Amino acid sequence: MLQSKITRRGLLGATAAGTGLAAFAGPWKHNRVWAAASDKPIKIGITSDASGQYANSGASDRRGMMMAIDEVNERGGVLGRKVESIHIDTETVPATGSRVAERMITREECGFLVGAVHSGVANAISQVAQKYGVIYLNTNSSSPTEAGQNCHRTKFVWDGNGTNFAKAAVKNAIGSYGKKWMLLTNDYVWGHDTAKATKALLAQYGGEVMEEILIPQGTRDFSSALLRVQQQKPGVVSAAIGGDDQKAFRQQVAQLGMGASPAWINSQQDWPDVYGLPIDNLFGVFGTTWYYKLDLPGVADFVKKYQEKYPDTQMRVPGNVFYNGYMATRELLNAIERAGSANNIAVIKALEGHKMSAADRMQHHDAWIDASTHQVQQTIYLATANSKYSEQDKDDMFEIVANTAPDAVLDTAAAEACKLESYEETPAFDA
Amino acid sequence: MLDLLPHILNGLTLGLLFALIALGFTLIVGVMEVINLAHGSLFALGAYFALSLLGGMWFGDTAFGAWWLRLSIETRYVAALFVGPALAAIAGMALELCLRPTYGKAPLYGLLLTFGAALVIEEIIRLGWGTGEQNLMVPASINGPVLVAGFIYSKYKFFAAGFSIVAIFAVWLFLEKTPYGAIIKAGAHDSEMVRALGYDLSKLRLMVFGFGAALAGLAGIIMVPIWGLRPHVGIDVVIPAFLIIVIGGIGSFWGALVAAIMVGLAVGITGAYAGAWATMSMYILLIIVVGFRSRGLFGRKSALEN
Amino acid sequence: MISLSDIPVRSRFQVYAPMAVMAAALSTAPWWLPAIGLYQYLGIEIAIWMIFALGFNLLFGYAGLHSFGHGAYLGIGAYAFGLFQQNVAVSLWGGLAAGILAAGLAGAIVGAFISHRRGIYYALLTIAFGQVFWFTSMKLYGVTGGEDGLLGIPRPPLTLFGLEYALRSNVALFYLAAFFLLATVLLMWRLVNSPFGRVLQAIRQNETRARFAGYEVWRFKWAAFVISAMFAGLAGGLFAMAQQSAYPDVMSLHQSGLIVMMVLVGGGLVSFWGPVLGVILYFVARDVLGGLTETWLLWYGMMFMAMVMLRPEGLAGMIHLGWKRLGGASEKPVILLAEKA
Repeated sequence: MLQSKITRRGLLGATAAGTGLAAFAGPWKHNRVWAAASDKPIKIGITSDASGQYANSGASDRRGMMMAIDEVNERGGVLGRKVESIHIDTETVPATGSRVAERMITREECGFLVGAVHSGVANAISQVAQKYGVIYLNTNSSSPTEAGQNCHRTKFVWDGNGTNFAKAAVKNAIGSYGKKWMLLTNDYVWGHDTAKATKALLAQYGGEVMEEILIPQGTRDFSSALLRVQQQKPGVVSAAIGGDDQKAFRQQVAQLGMGASPAWINSQQDWPDVYGLPIDNLFGVFGTTWYYKLDLPGVADFVKKYQEKYPDTQMRVPGNVFYNGYMATRELLNAIERAGSANNIAVIKALEGHKMSAADRMQHHDAWIDASTHQVQQTIYLATANSKYSEQDKDDMFEIVANTAPDAVLDTAAAEACKLESYEETPAFDA
Repeated sequence: MLDLLPHILNGLTLGLLFALIALGFTLIVGVMEVINLAHGSLFALGAYFALSLLGGMWFGDTAFGAWWLRLSIETRYVAALFVGPALAAIAGMALELCLRPTYGKAPLYGLLLTFGAALVIEEIIRLGWGTGEQNLMVPASINGPVLVAGFIYSKYKFFAAGFSIVAIFAVWLFLEKTPYGAIIKAGAHDSEMVRALGYDLSKLRLMVFGFGAALAGLAGIIMVPIWGLRPHVGIDVVIPAFLIIVIGGIGSFWGALVAAIMVGLAVGITGAYAGAWATMSMYILLIIVVGFRSRGLFGRKSALEN
Repeated sequence: MISLSDIPVRSRFQVYAPMAVMAAALSTAPWWLPAIGLYQYLGIEIAIWMIFALGFNLLFGYAGLHSFGHGAYLGIGAYAFGLFQQNVAVSLWGGLAAGILAAGLAGAIVGAFISHRRGIYYALLTIAFGQVFWFTSMKLYGVTGGEDGLLGIPRPPLTLFGLEYALRSNVALFYLAAFFLLATVLLMWRLVNSPFGRVLQAIRQNETRARFAGYEVWRFKWAAFVISAMFAGLAGGLFAMAQQSAYPDVMSLHQSGLIVMMVLVGGGLVSFWGPVLGVILYFVARDVLGGLTETWLLWYGMMFMAMVMLRPEGLAGMIHLGWKRLGGASEKPVILLAEKA
């Protein structure tokens, strides 16, 4: 009896206080407008992982962002304002991602958030960012859902996804290696999305799926699946295996000497994941969005700049993760400059549909930010292990075998699944 | 049926590797009644020590360093097989010293302390060796593919399985046939008795923990050429080790071996025919076994149950 | 060392003073949190984890049952809340009820399986079941969204007596969480001091003796597990609202280990308030250290190890001993019980 009385009174008190305070603190917008009136620095929150499964990629991502920010500050900042940044470890844990994003927006007053590798963390951050209307650059999470069903008005996705890579690879591979395919699919969302794209393309171009083996996430031993591959004797094996699983998988394929036959189609290989490993760990064909030895103007200077800026880093040359972090941050700062204001909606509009020239991005084809999905549509490269690899130049591990223009690899399924919030639904503020 | 044979062979080798992973873990649980959650971190630490030793990173540009790198990879590898575990043993002994205040209290405290130690060791690895993926070289003679009945197997995996048989046998010999083993086993059953007989119990515990840590480090050196090496590689170790000792029965040496083989077969066969269930099969096996035999296959009553 | 029954509560003042302090602190938190350099969302998260920790300590501290897979029930509560909003109806009470019931049901099934076990076998089985739930949540991506998470969970408005309060702002949600926290504190306090709570403590001290005293021990162990899973489910539902999404990661062994760490460091083994202190210490230390250094886990891990070695009675125990030394003595000398007894 006593219990219920206390409970009810407590509840009434709490809710009364809650509504009272909400009125007092006011909606979020008001506080922000006041803050923007001054000539304070533009503050970017870096939400990359520094521990957990993607700590290594997170560090590379962050170096890219820092280089872009430092470059802009050397030129005198954006709109005459200095660019500041703060980094907090998101630990490769989504719950931490939510909290870090909240802290960066509400306490550190960051106007922009940048950085992600793990799709759960990216989703957690983007939900918070959308709630406050803060622009969030998803630099390196390559799940097709990022710019598909989980797209947001405030989120921009800079990496190519599994579908892009499948589109770049499948048609050619059927021509070269035959119609009999086997799929090794990591049993989680990214794996299934990538496999789905591959299967659709196989159906379209007359390939045949002999068998699909699902590999549970966290698998460390692939011998049973690899034996199964030997029993089935496919022409091509398409592997959508990611994260730490991929690292163990690579190692084991190399040990078996199975890298050469059958033909392997792998999804993206992130540079920080393979850097420093023996060359025979790379096998088959895999995707990337950039390589430090692309034969294009500006690339060599970019690499030199990296080496001067990070002389002590174990990774001696930049890779795709660094590249995405750098390009995303640079384009964001350019967009603020173009918009002539740090108002979030104005910056979003400056980013949407923005075309980036091939020369500017050091890729083979012009790229653009898709206005309907917010994914950067860019050149997709197919690479293999470098056949001219030598012990003298251990960094030169890739050999680029093809580049595909962005419109040939568009992820149309993502575009159908993506429903961006309207501008009105997105809280507006000046950063 | 013929289709199944390669998978059975594969499952057996897998089981032997699981047994190697669980060996140090089961020893420490059996004798010290401490669930060592830092087992995985010591596993990683052993592999990282071996990595540094193989690459001669500690010797730098000294004359010794140059001489060391001129040695054949086989020699360095064999040296690493001894030095890596020895250094892991030292780390393990340091951990045992930290554990001392928890003796005589609920087993929970040992478990918690080692959980904290696991976090600390992982961070130390990150600081010392970086966060990236590394590769532990192995001599070419034990690497590469081998053809058995028309199927390609990994030579290294057979080496690892053979190695684990040797290691298991050596540990068994040590426990059964040496006076030290007798004392350790006595300690497992009745620490009061060990003290009454005039042996120094704290020294015994130090040694056992060091031994268990050395086995963890050894398993690390053997396993990482298959799994790859990264600071959090130890996470992959603790869960299988756990499952194996629970299925086998805490404190039972042979129980752990049988359980490891069972887990290996379950994972190997489901991996081929119902891949999505390969990981789950371990848990299902656990629930079935423990459902029928609450102390696992060969378990006996243990102080850990209080 | 001291144990839960050794810090006696003698007066009404000692019971209600901490509760009053807590209520006061909670009701004013949105004003002072920013002033000391924290933020509202952290307040929400701390309140939620306190609910989780208090429920967990019924099992851990009072009954002496060491569950290392408790993150699973938090996760189940979060998924149940989200799935209820998305598939049944957008309703606060419905969602929270779904979270509590789903976690309670999972707890009932697992509890039935493990309640005959003791000691380390109990702990090992909780780990195994925790892993099964974690693994299942990754695998059933059609339902849970897998590693992408279950996204877009709304924060339904609070409806009460026909009135509606929006919970979209973090402050409003904080008050809701704070209310549930206070309710949890009261309920838990009643529970641990009820005959049921005393039987649980008897089981912790000596399970065999409790059995000979005529109690059907396993039923009590089962009930404690279910109740604590239900509180985890409540916390999970609130967590889903706070994050507006649910992810499998909270169910992992690592995250389940963290709640044990928090409760122990706070002194859950010796004091009712231990879990509360532990959660505050963990989140604040992590937020402050995490902003300063990337190796915060190293420092926190070392602090935790030192605590287990030197002060296993945790923060609450240290405060108690310090208080006693200052002269605020309890008449009874603290019995240095071996926890094993």
